[in-house]
Amino acid sequence: MMFSKKKITIAYTVEKCPKCDMIRKRAFTEGDVLFSESSKCNSCDGISVIEKIFGESIEQ
Amino acid sequence: MLSLLDFTNLDFDQLFGMSDDTNPLMMLVWILPIILFVFYGQRIQLFVTSGEIKKGIKKLDGFKEESRDELISYVKKNLKLENDPTKKIDRFLDYFTIMPVDMDPNGIVDKVQHIVRSREDYTREHIRSLSPQISNFELTKIQTLLEIASSLQIIYKIVNHMFLTAKKQNNYPLILPLQMILPFIMEQAEAMNEAIPAFKTGQPVGDGIGPMVVGKMMLDHKKEITAFQTALAKTDFEGRTLFLLKAEGPGSTVGRPADALETIVSGTKIDIIIMIDAALKMEGEDSASVAQGFGAAIGGVGTERFQIEAITTSKNIPVFSIVVKQSVKEAITLMTKEIADKADDTRLQVYEMIRENTKSGQSVVVIGVGNTVGVPQ
Repeated sequence: MMFSKKKITIAYTVEKCPKCDMIRKRAFTEGDVLFSESSKCNSCDGISVIEKIFGESIEQ
Repeated sequence: MLSLLDFTNLDFDQLFGMSDDTNPLMMLVWILPIILFVFYGQRIQLFVTSGEIKKGIKKLDGFKEESRDELISYVKKNLKLENDPTKKIDRFLDYFTIMPVDMDPNGIVDKVQHIVRSREDYTREHIRSLSPQISNFELTKIQTLLEIASSLQIIYKIVNHMFLTAKKQNNYPLILPLQMILPFIMEQAEAMNEAIPAFKTGQPVGDGIGPMVVGKMMLDHKKEITAFQTALAKTDFEGRTLFLLKAEGPGSTVGRPADALETIVSGTKIDIIIMIDAALKMEGEDSASVAQGFGAAIGGVGTERFQIEAITTSKNIPVFSIVVKQSVKEAITLMTKEIADKADDTRLQVYEMIRENTKSGQSVVVIGVGNTVGVPQ
């Protein structure tokens, strides 16, 4: 227990472009809501939609 | 080197003073602890156990204070109130619920439902009284944070009471049940404490997998509010009519799916019902594993499940379930990647279940059960 590392959870948002299926993972920002339009796609002129929001734990 | 560690020539009689020429000092060393443990064994155990329980209580006290402070700072920051809400919030935190008498169980479900809903309704109105222009999204979040803080407060009070009673009476057997149940209580309390950031920021939690699956199926279809905080969308799938039901997102609510189902079956002949929910995994089971079964998959105090079972029995509608397994902590904290990745697979299983169990022209109700925080439709 003395040497156990503290775990922290980082929230991520996964966006998917409905036009070209390009997937982008970025850090979650307040106001992100599932299935909502998020940002302009990097590879085409489509608008990315938030596909998933999840947390990943890392040891500090 | 090995010869130095040769223990084969040890004289045990000499070592423990048990030969004929018995050493009285060594006899005392043997006998004293026996006498001590016979007469004071329970007190020693009480002392040792108390230390462990005290640590747990200290942690619970920290959770209680932390959740209260988080709630107050959230309300102050987001509602921009003229007056300090601390006093009012402290009063809300002390609210208790007296469950109905169950000596005569006849009609107990309606009574429990009445009390639970009254509590929810009045809590909602009290929060609204802090800031009448508050949005429903903010209101549901504060209501959940209040529930968390209130639950942590009551857990702390009960555990502390049990501990102090045992200490006061110097009664070791009284502390045993607490020692046995404390790890489970701590697991729940830690999960609740870690759930606060997700509810504050409106992120989906593990329990939201059901609403997430159905919410995606509802996208681009006309939605209506069919019961309190419950959304319905009607769609077609390979000749079948689908009634898609979930709590109204992205607020933090579970809605009232049983009331919504009652409305649907009163006007339409339903052939099957499919419920998608998060389920507690057993120890050793993989997290985010998906399983299919029969019966109403819905948690809570049991009133919603009772109502759904009564409706489906009276109308002879089979109920199928798909559950995504997870731990208590995963269910109420930010959704893990493993659970989020199962949303597409679960949705495919729903469509497969519809194909396998219905014919073209039939009607299906699909219910996404769970807290819909961060999950719209």
